[in-house]
Amino acid sequence: MAPAQDPNSVGGGAKRDEATLKVPSKDPKKKDDKKEDDLSEEDLQLKQNLELYVERAQDPNPELQKAALESMRQDIRASTSSMTSVPKPLKFLRPHYGTLKEFHVKMAESDLKKMLADILSVLALTMSAEGERESLNYRLTGSEGDIGSWGHEYVRNLAGEIAEEYTMRQGEESSIDDLMKLVQQIVAFHMKHNAETEAVDLLMDVEDLDLLLEHVDSTNFRRTCNYLTSAAKYLPGPDDMLVLDIAYMIYIKFSEYPNALQIALFLGNMQYVKQVFTSCTDLLKKKQFCYMISRHGITFELDSEMVANDDDKEMLQDIVNNTKLSEGYLTLARDIEVMEAKTPEDIYKAHLLDGRASSGPSVDSARQNLAATFVNAFVNAGFGQDKLMTVPSDSTSGSAGNWLFKNKEHGKTSAAASLGMILLWDVDSGLAQLDKYFHSNENPIIAGALLGVGIVNCGIKNDCDPALALLAEYIGKEDSSVRIGAIMGLGIAYAGSQNDQIRSSLSPILADAKAPLDVIAFAALSLGMIYVGSCNEEVAQSIIFALMDRSEAELGEALTRFLPLGLGLLYLGKQESVEATAEVSKTFNEKIRKYCDMTLLSCAYAGTGNVLKVQDLLAQCGEHLEKGDIHQGPAVLGLAMVAMSEELGLDMEIRSLERVLQYGEQNIRRAVPLALGLLCISNPKVTVMDTLSRLSHDTDSEVAMAAIISLGLIGAGTNNARIAGMLRNLSSYYYKDASLLFCVRIAQGLVHMGKGLLTLSPFHSERLLLSPTALAGIVTLLHACLDMKSIILGKYHYVLYFLVLAMQPRMMLTVDENLKPISVPVRVGQAVDVVGQAGRPKTITGFQTHSTPVLLAAGERAELATEKYIPLSPILEGFVILKENPDYREE
Amino acid sequence: MPTVSVKWQKKVFDGIEIDISLPPYVFKAQLYDLTGVPPERQKIMVKGGLLKDDGDWSAIGVKDGQKLMMMGTADEIVKAPEKAIVFSEDLPEEALATNLGYSAGLVNLGNTCYMNSTVQCLKSVPELKSALSNYSLAGRSNDVDQTSHMLTVATRELFGELDRSVNAVSPSQFWMVLRKKYPQFSQLHNGIHMQQDAEECWTQLLYTLSQSLKAPTSSEDPDAVKALFGVNLLSRLHCQESGEESSEKESVYSLKCHISHEVNHLHEGLKHGLKGELEKNSPALDRTALYLKESLIDSLPRYLTVQFVRFFWKRETNQKAKILRKVDYPLELDIFDLCSPDLKKKLEAPRQKLRDEEGKKLGLTSAKSGSKDSDVKMTDAEGSSNGSGESSTVNQNEGASSEKETHMTGIYDLVAVLTHKGRSADSGHYVAWVKQESGKWIQYDDDNPSMQREEDITKLSGGGDWHMAYIIMYKARFVSM
Repeated sequence: MAPAQDPNSVGGGAKRDEATLKVPSKDPKKKDDKKEDDLSEEDLQLKQNLELYVERAQDPNPELQKAALESMRQDIRASTSSMTSVPKPLKFLRPHYGTLKEFHVKMAESDLKKMLADILSVLALTMSAEGERESLNYRLTGSEGDIGSWGHEYVRNLAGEIAEEYTMRQGEESSIDDLMKLVQQIVAFHMKHNAETEAVDLLMDVEDLDLLLEHVDSTNFRRTCNYLTSAAKYLPGPDDMLVLDIAYMIYIKFSEYPNALQIALFLGNMQYVKQVFTSCTDLLKKKQFCYMISRHGITFELDSEMVANDDDKEMLQDIVNNTKLSEGYLTLARDIEVMEAKTPEDIYKAHLLDGRASSGPSVDSARQNLAATFVNAFVNAGFGQDKLMTVPSDSTSGSAGNWLFKNKEHGKTSAAASLGMILLWDVDSGLAQLDKYFHSNENPIIAGALLGVGIVNCGIKNDCDPALALLAEYIGKEDSSVRIGAIMGLGIAYAGSQNDQIRSSLSPILADAKAPLDVIAFAALSLGMIYVGSCNEEVAQSIIFALMDRSEAELGEALTRFLPLGLGLLYLGKQESVEATAEVSKTFNEKIRKYCDMTLLSCAYAGTGNVLKVQDLLAQCGEHLEKGDIHQGPAVLGLAMVAMSEELGLDMEIRSLERVLQYGEQNIRRAVPLALGLLCISNPKVTVMDTLSRLSHDTDSEVAMAAIISLGLIGAGTNNARIAGMLRNLSSYYYKDASLLFCVRIAQGLVHMGKGLLTLSPFHSERLLLSPTALAGIVTLLHACLDMKSIILGKYHYVLYFLVLAMQPRMMLTVDENLKPISVPVRVGQAVDVVGQAGRPKTITGFQTHSTPVLLAAGERAELATEKYIPLSPILEGFVILKENPDYREE
Repeated sequence: MPTVSVKWQKKVFDGIEIDISLPPYVFKAQLYDLTGVPPERQKIMVKGGLLKDDGDWSAIGVKDGQKLMMMGTADEIVKAPEKAIVFSEDLPEEALATNLGYSAGLVNLGNTCYMNSTVQCLKSVPELKSALSNYSLAGRSNDVDQTSHMLTVATRELFGELDRSVNAVSPSQFWMVLRKKYPQFSQLHNGIHMQQDAEECWTQLLYTLSQSLKAPTSSEDPDAVKALFGVNLLSRLHCQESGEESSEKESVYSLKCHISHEVNHLHEGLKHGLKGELEKNSPALDRTALYLKESLIDSLPRYLTVQFVRFFWKRETNQKAKILRKVDYPLELDIFDLCSPDLKKKLEAPRQKLRDEEGKKLGLTSAKSGSKDSDVKMTDAEGSSNGSGESSTVNQNEGASSEKETHMTGIYDLVAVLTHKGRSADSGHYVAWVKQESGKWIQYDDDNPSMQREEDITKLSGGGDWHMAYIIMYKARFVSM
């Protein structure tokens, strides 16, 4: 945690002024002699002077002593401005350090002794041996005068020694009061001199961050908090939480509520979120908070304490409930002019391929039509129109359901559900369009309609709870496909809501001995989604019992993996809270025990960057196992889940996965592409793209399939031309293999998801916050991809729709005070890490100026290019409310 | 009586009064008036539950000003189309084959790629196929021996099987018969069958077929194979020592493209191949003398086969060595200047006609419709030539000379390439590249057919270790007059 800046430049500046003031009074020539090399006349004189002072300091006459010490101090102070070379006075005093030390011991207690101690403390800066901490010791016996007067380097040195001393005293359990006093001084000094990072470092070393609150002021709290939040990523628990707590308090102290809210969300502390609302009085700002909460995808109920006025409350709740998301998204789409619906053929672009794939068979292939269904759903997601499903019904030919019937059996489920995807977030029209399928006489279609209702309501809450009302009665139906449709729909619509009513209707299924395995698996999964990250005991219990009740044969089924996964999702990101459940999982049948272990571990530490857990998981991947063990798959995914939170760990993980790929067994190799896909989701890094492209031609078709899907994931919603080209070539390469071609098509659909307006990244707000529901959706899909053949290529392809949980517009939409979209110029560029940087560094580089709404790619940041408005949130993502700048003057 | 507002699609109906003494069905009827959605299609959502027709309002506890949500449309309910949709996954394999647009590959039975590629190339000749299908099991004439008959039947069977199947066909029966007829193909090396020269296989197979396909009934020109592939050469022999001159006629199945250092292009190779020296007894000198032989083409075949003479016997290594030299060949071959003067004369008019038509196609004539017409004609012409393959074989040799509708032009289009990859004829790998009727090129690498681009076909001209053309086959372009 070394600070990136050299604080001397600023801290020393003040000192130099002091020096120039004092030096001439003593010896007018002294200033000049620094410029001369070697022992010039001036130097010689200085040396002689100093020697004289040393001698006189030992003089019995206190007057002389005092004068000598005073002069010595002046000389030293005049020169401690920089440490690029040892200052001359210190250099000349080196030989006398021992003498002075001895003399100091002999001296009687007096002001003079303290004065000498001060000087010795400074001299120790260069003289004392490593680990002696003499500088600190003399400082503590010294006069306790202004610490800054000795220059910045001295303070830094002291801080270092304090940290050492502190650790030692902690070991001995001796008092630290004297140290803390010094710490107070140093922190005050640092905070005043733009060295917030060092102050924070020192306070972290002495474990007393609370002190910071007293010293931050309106000029430095931003930099301080910035440093705190980014340092938190690298701290072991529970320190990280502590650090963020402090950051939160500082933000609250300075009424910087949006940032405070961000941290509150990061901590998952609803109390804090509430506090933000109660402390803030500005209604407009509260609206902005609501937008931020809605982006995070958590369920949040406002109460009268937070907003007094009922009408206001209703309006704010509407924002939290995401009811305006569809509108905003369509505004963006209209602005970018991509409203025109696209067909799967527009995405495949087969005409760009020469010869090979263009000869499509004249008969419909169910598998390819299913792929087209998904592509159509992903590409037109949220636009409310497409060219397959929503074409106006023609009564004569009955073409409304035409495409639906071009899908076979369970394919119709996905086809009907795709309507939900196309009308994503638009509950009113979505329900109207899905209605007709409820009355179908084919079970797969009804199942699809149910699932579609769930998808339409994904992330949207409504007072009437239409999804619950419609789906609840289908949970207990006879046909298992209908049941799964309803259960999965509920899981998607109510992810993260912790809705008790749903729990009471889903839990009995888990305990039902007669229920088929697939119904149980999806019930466990949906419960996991609804209670994601809640650590809910009762849900955990029912899933655990369900797992224990499964027979040996059932445990071998591909779908059984959803049970441990559902359990894991309950503890998503909750770290230690998982331990009790992890103990229980050790009693499971050995077929599932390890799988469950790995899933729990990886979910609990997802997004924490915990290095120890990464090592644990890597160790698991290092083993070479007998055939049939499947737990290494989730272990590899776990690596990515744990490490995905911050950039350094992420890059490191990508490199170590390369090793895993080389040395791992086949079941590990199959999971590696998926892990890469998760690490770079919606963030097409070229290196990862190349690795995946290589793997997509792997001899093991499962590795190839996973790599192809992952290519889709890393390019999801980016329209990345390079990936699109790769996939096009793959489609001709695999034109004969229906399964691989299906994967290629899905990946093509993902890359063009929402015609390039969407992202799957669970991170938002400048990569600080991790949306738990989004991660849950992605992880579920990846676990399903671990056994591609039986799940996605089998009859459970609709698990692909779990991705809807992570789909969010990657937009920056500015709205005015009445929440109507307005267009303002913004600069969009690559984000620069400015934590700990001196001055006011630029936050973006290589920017272009656009007018809102704009799209933000991974790693990009926006800033307003006009002074006319003030954004209410410092993070320009999603919906941002702009306020007119009262000080703005037209030029 | 509480008043509620009901949200339906994007509309909100405010101030609807509910008579809580009456069952909810009455309320639904109220909504029917407003929305036109029949009550049985209405789904009314009240705080996480559906309103039942016979429910009790008091149990639901509707409050004044509450918002309800209604779902339902008067839309027609989707019905499955009357005609069930057929998916390719449901189809039997045979039906799939016709969908694919090209036929199946052949399984390699152990160094049989030379045979596989030969079969694939020859199969691309529809006239040969139809001639074979006319060949009857019983109708074996006496001058055809038993093994030739068997080989002919096996060929017919194999072609048929290839057209029907989706998956690769195993040519074991054919191979057995081939080895019976030509024992040289059963040579073993280390217990496995040796790689053979595809050219030998090609020649032998064609020879057998030409023998057995001589229609016993027809008298004019019974040899169907000869009609398709045969080239008549008019040769002039000239002895420099004695100044003697003689001429002779011969018929060959393929032209040879000799490769020397001057030869960079097929055309040069062909010219080179038509000139030769031979030692022959000279009646004038009464001893063997060196004769120069110059040949010219006297009649054109429907399918012109060209063999690149890439292999020669290298005494030092005791094997057939290969010339790797790059020899370009065109997709469209004009052999006019290799023809005899008589033939040239015959070709002139059709060629002029062809040029005119092409000129039209290129838009030299202004009228759009005109070019379209000629397009149609062209395809017609081709269609008729394909369709009438059978009948025209009867007196095909006169195809160019007789005043029929279609005429030879001396211009040929590339339809099949048999390539070799490797350093000697008895090793390496043979692959067939065949143009389909759809105009697409398919590479038949044993059991694995794959699509290819046309520009890649011309890249098989040698000069490296890639596949290089060994035998190529051109199809004559006709023009109707």
